[in-house]
This record gives sequence, C-alpha cells and structure tokens, in this order.
Amino acid sequence: MRYAWDAAAGVAQSRPQAPAVVLQGVTKTYPGDVQALRGVSLTVQRGTFLAVMGPSGSGKSTLMHCAAGLDTPTTGHVFVDGTEIGTLSETARTELRRDSVGFVFQSYNLVPSLSIEDNITLPLRLAGRTPDREWVRGLVERVGIGERLSHRPAELSGGQQQRVAIARALAARPAVVFADEPTGALDLRTGREVLALLRDMVDTLGQTVVMVTHDPAAAARADLATVMADGRVVDTFVQATAAELAAGVTKLETE
Amino acid sequence: MLYCAWHMVRRRIAALLAVVCAALGGAAMVTGIGVLADSGWRSHAPVERLDRADVVVSASQSHQPPKPFLPSISLPERVQVPAELADRLARLPGVADTVSDRSFPAAVVTDSGDAAPAADASVNGHGWSSTGLLAAHDVRGSAPAGPREVALDQGTAAAASAEPGDRVTVVAAGRTGTYRVSAVLQVPGSGVYFTDAAAARLAAPGTAAGTQDASGEDSPASADLVAVRAEPGEADRAADEVRQAVADDDLNVTTGAARGDAESPGTTAARSLLPTLASSLTGVTLLVVGFIVAGALSVAVQSQRRELALMRAVGATPRQIRRIVTLQAVLTSAAAAVPGAALGYLLAERFRDLLVWTGMLPSGLPLTYGPLPAVAGVVFLVGVVSVAAWCVAWRTSRMPATEAVAESRSEPRKPSPVRARIGLGLIIGGTALSIGPLLIRSQVGAVGTALAGILAAIGLALVGPVLVGRVGRALSRRLSGSTPAPTWLAVANSHGYAQRAAGAASTLAMAVVFTLTYTLTQTTVVAATSGEVRDATRAQFGVSAPGLGGVPENLADDLRDRPGVEAAAPVTTTTALWPFRVLNETEVESAPAMVLDHEARGVLDLDVRDGNLADLKGRTVAVSADAAKSRDVHVGSTAEFYLGDGAPVSARVVATYGRGLGFGELVLSRDLAVSHTTTGLDQQLYVTTDGSEAAEREVTELVASHPGLALDDDPGAAEKGGVGGVPPELWINIAVLAVLLAYLLVGIANKLVATTAARRTELATLQLVGATPHQVRAMMRREAALLTVAAFVGGLALSVIPLVLLSAGFLGRPVPSGPAWLLPALAAVVAAIAFLSTELPTRRALRTPPTQALTRT
Repeated sequence: MRYAWDAAAGVAQSRPQAPAVVLQGVTKTYPGDVQALRGVSLTVQRGTFLAVMGPSGSGKSTLMHCAAGLDTPTTGHVFVDGTEIGTLSETARTELRRDSVGFVFQSYNLVPSLSIEDNITLPLRLAGRTPDREWVRGLVERVGIGERLSHRPAELSGGQQQRVAIARALAARPAVVFADEPTGALDLRTGREVLALLRDMVDTLGQTVVMVTHDPAAAARADLATVMADGRVVDTFVQATAAELAAGVTKLETE
Repeated sequence: MLYCAWHMVRRRIAALLAVVCAALGGAAMVTGIGVLADSGWRSHAPVERLDRADVVVSASQSHQPPKPFLPSISLPERVQVPAELADRLARLPGVADTVSDRSFPAAVVTDSGDAAPAADASVNGHGWSSTGLLAAHDVRGSAPAGPREVALDQGTAAAASAEPGDRVTVVAAGRTGTYRVSAVLQVPGSGVYFTDAAAARLAAPGTAAGTQDASGEDSPASADLVAVRAEPGEADRAADEVRQAVADDDLNVTTGAARGDAESPGTTAARSLLPTLASSLTGVTLLVVGFIVAGALSVAVQSQRRELALMRAVGATPRQIRRIVTLQAVLTSAAAAVPGAALGYLLAERFRDLLVWTGMLPSGLPLTYGPLPAVAGVVFLVGVVSVAAWCVAWRTSRMPATEAVAESRSEPRKPSPVRARIGLGLIIGGTALSIGPLLIRSQVGAVGTALAGILAAIGLALVGPVLVGRVGRALSRRLSGSTPAPTWLAVANSHGYAQRAAGAASTLAMAVVFTLTYTLTQTTVVAATSGEVRDATRAQFGVSAPGLGGVPENLADDLRDRPGVEAAAPVTTTTALWPFRVLNETEVESAPAMVLDHEARGVLDLDVRDGNLADLKGRTVAVSADAAKSRDVHVGSTAEFYLGDGAPVSARVVATYGRGLGFGELVLSRDLAVSHTTTGLDQQLYVTTDGSEAAEREVTELVASHPGLALDDDPGAAEKGGVGGVPPELWINIAVLAVLLAYLLVGIANKLVATTAARRTELATLQLVGATPHQVRAMMRREAALLTVAAFVGGLALSVIPLVLLSAGFLGRPVPSGPAWLLPALAAVVAAIAFLSTELPTRRALRTPPTQALTRT
C-alpha cells in the first residue's frame, strides 16, 4: 500500500519544471485608492516551503490571493504553474485553481453537509475527475484521519478538521498549496502537528507550499521566509530560526 | 442592551427584511379583520328618513339564544312595535310629538311602463306623517287627502313626469292602483307618501298575502317603529323619559347615529355578518401570520448565530442574548407593523367593496374606523414576534459560549425524533378528520376537509426535517460516482441541511395544501349544491320584481291562466332559526330557509322522500331528510323554531326531501312565513310551461306588460345568485385565500431569499475549493428543483385523501370538481418562487469575491 502511494507521488513530481508561482511587479489597488500591494516580484520554486510574514495590513493576504489566482493584480503579471492568470476569466481562473492550487484556511472551511471523504474528493468531483482511490487513501492515512472518513466535519476536533483540509488541498495534486494562517485557530501542540504535516508533504512528496503566517515559530518550519510591510517585500530569510524571524519582524514594527 | 440590539438591526437589515415584510403584511391582515369585527359591532346604517327624530323606538331585531354570554342573532325581517305606543310616548314630558312609522313596498310606474327608480323599492311607501321626520324640505302642493292621493319625492315625480294634480299608477304592497299626486317634496332619497290611514292599511301584515286583516282602518295593530320628536332643547330628557317608559318592554331606544339601525333592520342584520366573517378568518390568518413571522425570525437569528455566539463568548448571559434578539425583533416588527396597520384599513375597505359587490353587505353600511383594530393588530404582531423570537433564541442563548462559536460554523443540529412523531400524529389525525364529508353532507361537513389540510400542513412542517433527511440520503445512495458535481452537492445539501431544506419545502407545501383543499372544497361543494339545484328546478322561468319590492299579487294566477303554463309558484328566501340540541346544550343558528307553497311540486323537485309537498298549507314545513334524521322529526311530528322576525312557531312536518344541500334544512309554508317578512310579498315566481315557444311567448308578453318585473329564463342556473345559486361566500373565500396565499408566498420567498443570502460563506467555500460560479448556480438550481418537487409532491400527497373523501361524499366520485388549470398553475407558481428566490440571491452572492465573502462573515 505504502509502495503504491509513493509511486503515485512520483507521478506528481514529474510535471514540467516551470516555477510553481511567479509574480512580476504586482500591484493591487482597492477601491478608495487603498494600495495593498506596491510592486511585488517573487518566484516560488517547486518543492519549496515559503512562509510569508508581516504585520496586519502589510499586504500578505492580498499577496496570497493574487498569487493563488483568487484575485487579479491591478498591474503586473502572475503565473501559476506556468499560466498567466491576469487575462483569464473568473471561470477559467477557477478551473486553473482547481487543477493547480490547493488551499488550507485558518477556519478549515470544510463543507458541513458532506462527509470527510466527500470533502476531500470535492475538488476532484468539481473538476469532473474520478478520484484516484489509492492516492486519496494514502493521503488520509498520512494525515491520520483514516478511520473518520464517514464522519461529518462537525464531529471532528479543530486539528482533525485542519488535517482534512490539508488532505483536500492535496487531493487534486496541485502545483502549489496555499495555507492561510493554518495554525491560527489551533492550540500550540495541534498547530505543531499540522506544521509537521505540511513540512512532511514538502519533504516526501516534493509539494510546493506557500504559507501566510505572523507566527515566527510557524515560519521557521519553512525553507524561505519573506517579510512584508506596507505592500512590499522588505526582507527574505533562508532557513532562519524562530528567534531570527521574530527579531526581523519586531525590527519592522518598531521602525 | 437597546444600543446593542439597534446596532445589530442596522447591520442586519437585509436578514431582517423578511421579518419586516412578515410583520407588515401580518399587521395589515390582522388590522383589516379587526376593522371588520369592529364595524360589525359599532357601525350604523346612515340615518336618512328619520333625520329629525330625536329618539327612535323600535322592536329588538335580535334573538337571544337560551344560554347567556352567547352573541345574539340578528333578525333580518322587520319586527313590529304596538301602534298604541305612539300615543303613550306622546304624553311623556319633553316629547313634542310622535310618529308611528311604517314602510311597505311601493313603486310609481313611469310613462314607459317601468318602475321609477327607488333606493329600496321594498320599503319605498310611507305614511304622510313620516315626512315630518325628513330633513327640512320644500313641499309643492298639499298633503294627500284621501285614500287615492299620494305625495312623491321630486326624483320619482320627475321619472314619472308627474306634477301635483296629475294622475299616476302606483304599485303599492303588490296592488296596482291609480292615484292623484297631491304634492312633490324636495327631499333627497325616494319615497311615495300615502295618507297615514292608507299607509296603515297597505303596511298591515298579511294584507298583501291576500288574507285580509280584520283590524279597522284607523287603529292599526302595529308599526315598524315610533319616532319621537322632543320639545326644543329637551332631547336628552325626552330620551331618558322614553327609556324609562319602555324599560319593561323588549324595545330598543336609539338616538344619534344608532337610529340608522332602527331605520333599516336588513342592513343591521347584514352587519352581523361582519363579526362572523372576521371570526372565521381569524384562525387561519393568525396561523399563517404566526408561521411566516416565526419562519422569518428563525432565518434572521440563524444568520446572526455567530455574532450572538461571540457575544456569549465575551460575557453576555443567555438572558441578555435572548433580550437582544427579542428587542431586535420587536423594534423591527413594531416599525413595520405601524404602516402595516394603516394598510389594514385600506384592506378592510377593499374587502367591504367585495362584500357589497357580491351582495352580502348593503352598500349603505359604512365601516367604522376606530383606532382599536390598529392597536390590536400592532400589539398582536409584536406579541407573536416576541414569543417567536424568544423561542428561536432559546437554543442559541443556552449553548456554552465556546460551543456557540464552534456550532455557528458547522452543521445545524440533528432533527428531533419527538418533533417528527408529533408531526406524524398531526398528519394522521388531520387526515382522519377529513372523513367529515362522508358523514355530514353539508357546508359543516366540508369544514373537516379544510381543517384536515391545515393540520396536515402543520404536521408536515414538524416531520419535515426527518423526512427530507431520509429522502435525501436515499437519493444520494442512488447517485453514482459519475453524477455531475452540482447534482451531487445539491442532494448532499438536502440531507446535510435537512432542517433548512425542510423548512423551505414544508412552508411551500403548506401553500400547496392550502390552495388545493380550500379552493377545491369550495368548488366541489358549490358544484354539488348547484348540481342539486339544477336537477331540482323544473321551472323554465323565474319572474321577480326588482322595481316593485315584491311580486304583485294575482300575478301567479295571471300566469297560470296563460295557455301552455303548467305551474306557477312563489319562491322566497327568508331566515329561520331552528334550535338543535348538542350534548344537552341548545344551539341556535340563523340559516336561510325557502318559502314555498303547495304548488311548489310543479316548479321544483326537492326529491321528496316522505309525505307530500301538496300539504304545504297553513302552519306546516318540509324538512330535509338529513335534518329529519339528526333532529329526530318525521312527517306528522312538530318542528319548533323561530321565524325571520323572531316569532316562535311550531309547525307540522308534512314532507321530507332529499335535496337538502341545495335547498337547506327547512322549507316553510308560505301561509306560515309570509306575514313574518318585511315586505309580505313573494320574491320570485317560478313558472313551468309545456316547453312550447307559444307558451314562452305568453309568459314573456305577460311579464313585459307589467311594470317593474324581470324575467329569468334559466332559474336553475348555477352562476346566478338567489335561490340555491353560487353562494357569494365562494367569492369571499376565494378572495381571502388569494390574500392569505399572496402573504404566504411573499413570506416564503422572503425566507428563501434570506436563507440563500445567508449561505454566502458556504458558497464562497465551494468556490475556493474549485467550484466555478456556473457550478454554484447549477447546484442552487438543482436544490430549487428538489425543493419544488418536494413541496409539490408533499402538498399533493397531503391533499389527496381529504379531497377524495370530500368528492366521494358530495359528488359520489373520487375526483373533486374545480378548474383544471389549478394544479399546473400551482406547480408553476411553486417552481417560480423556488427558482427565483434562490437564483437571484445566489447571483448576488457570487458577485462578491469568495475571499471577501469569507473574511466578512
């Protein structure tokens, strides 16, 4: 069983090796002349774990929305899995997201009326694809919710729900998974477990993960950490410790 | 607290819109019904002829049932007062003079041979002394000075182109004669004024019926009323004196606006219809209003669960939460109920127009617009809203604070099995009630059907969540892996959100049940009734005398003398009160009763079971076979009841008949009833001919040669009013149903819109997971389709048994009678509401980018 799943993982890695996400000079201005992004360029290579840090209002959520194709930039270019999204219609962007992007949210956002198994296969069904049973079974075992497949989300704890959300994000074997404060609603221990799970996905499956967080301890699990302030990328750390990251962000806030 | 509530109201105005609409419409309907009831108690017919009477003494026009506390029953036929009363009252201090007033049918024939138009021909003739009661007016000419002289109002005089001194033909109390016009009066309204002696003779009861009254010309036994004029400035004293003088008699002493009641007892009796109507509307209206208001509130509170949960988390006590929710609801509904109540007055006025149009209410009777109905409407609405809000908030407020936050994000609670069992019980109980029409073949029996529908609909609302959950799960098991995602999601939502889905489906199903059972009960009973009338009517012609106030005497004989005419018999409708004993309690209801004579066999076939209608002479009656059974009377026994003027009678039963649905429980002998009617004349003559064209020509010629007559060449036709025709209640019931249904449907649409709008987070989640806007809309459409099917099939299923039983009882076949388009139209309306009220808010919700929708919760 384990063997079959690893083989499937190998298929996931054999895609053309364009960077998972590329942002070139992206700005985003909201109505009322609110400049959320003021020219961000960023490349996320495949198989890397990037953390985006910054204080509230620094533009990190907007950055994620633009990079994930949830929103379109005002100027600049965004490429997801090699496709430029700025020119796509809402439907075309949704279809691109469905195939190439997975999401993990702070508030899990599982569909309450569906069982855990149905929640995980939902993106595949929406894409009209037949779920790869072995891949899905391997995923749920790896995230540790194998016995709860027929339960409803409401019957699971927060940590378990977030594990389901991670399995759902990976079900379609996306080029990149975006995680928006995935540990924000969890206690310290459960949060660590979820981070370990994400790390594991990067290490064993070669999954690309972009995580928005303001927790330096969470960001320290990433390969790269980008710090944002006032709509710009102001600093980038490589393999930094939590203490270094905390210092970096604190410096920003005191300036 | 008020601050919190108010600010939440402002933020949630969209969610509360449904509550606003529900409260607005609810207040309008409750106020409207209140206005009808209030008018029934307090409004008076306008005072016209009695303008200058300070005090009016008339007989009590009501029958007090044997039990106290029961409302008295209005009597439509004029009850007489003793004529000597006028002399007695004239001697009281403060009284200037008194007038014994009596009215009788009278019409002046114009040059063209028609009857001159009159406000009400049946009470158009009066004595000269009553002109002293009219508002100040000019008189050209002098008082009538002999039995062959009359005075006319100027309108009638103009119509007959008569001047003082001219001769005119007058049909008075059914007798035609030539009179000299002695005077023309410049007065509003119409009237033909005879000398007091002539008036007394014409008005004497029984005169017109041919049974010449023996009492002398100058001492008439009775009068309609006695009008009292007081000495200048002594009106109050005179009224007190009169009250004291007649305190021991069963007489009404009225002053001011109430004098109108004494002037026209028919109008007053019709007025008593209003409270009856109001009370019959109250039940179903309050039920629907409560249902819709509670539904709207539950959606509004549901959409605020998270906010309320957060308030719990920051320290609000459950009590405070309930108070916030209740205050919010009360603020919103009070604000909406005030304009709603104002709307209620307009609604009541429209309703009055309808009643007047169908002839159930005389056009002379205005509505009373007091503040009480509005106050009652607003108070009721606010009361219902507070109770509903309290109940809806109960569960949310009692949750532990942490669970409150958690639950607000996930699946609603599991359906309660107890609730489902109660619902099932209601459905079974309701359906059992629908056996009524099989047992009692009358309007009363048909009530069971409507009641069955209402109970079953409430039952469905209770059992809904469990039912929808089961059906949804059964459906989802049948779906395969290749089912399109939107369909699969729609089915999953139907059982995953069983409560939400069932709430919408059962309210829509309720509308279906209401429409089907109410409409088809009406149309089926009407079809059965008019079918009986059609089958029973042998006569080819009906002759009535709208311009004369009653069919002239001798006309029946004239008709019978024509060649080809086989039978001609009078047909009149009056009122009778036949007490019956239910569980040792005596109940009295006023019911229409036919007045026929021994010739009736020739024109009507009542399906006589026992006895003979030819014996319908003197103090006799015929009763329907059903009534004979339930009241334990038979041919030869005696029936005791009250006539339309309250006179108690005991009459021998001479026949029983089968067509009780079309002709009522009681058929009175003309000899018995006619002197107890206001006019003392027949309303119609039914004429049976040999069917030849010659006979038709004879009848037509005869009718044309008499002024003021109208010929109906199909007296058994169902669509006409009058005897056994389509009851005007049909229109009233359909109008009420339409208003209620409109309210119900607007309420449902509102609730659906609010429910859909509240699903923005859910839809946004789906979008983020990869659903295109198209897929989301497709999912919602499939949900709407499921909703339509569930509501329609559910409603139809609940209606089928009651309607089949009803049709079996009334028509002897399983299919009810009614318009064929009803079912498809209903299906179309249900589908339109389901689709529009999900499609539009879904489109709106999709306009917000999913990321924003999620952060805005």
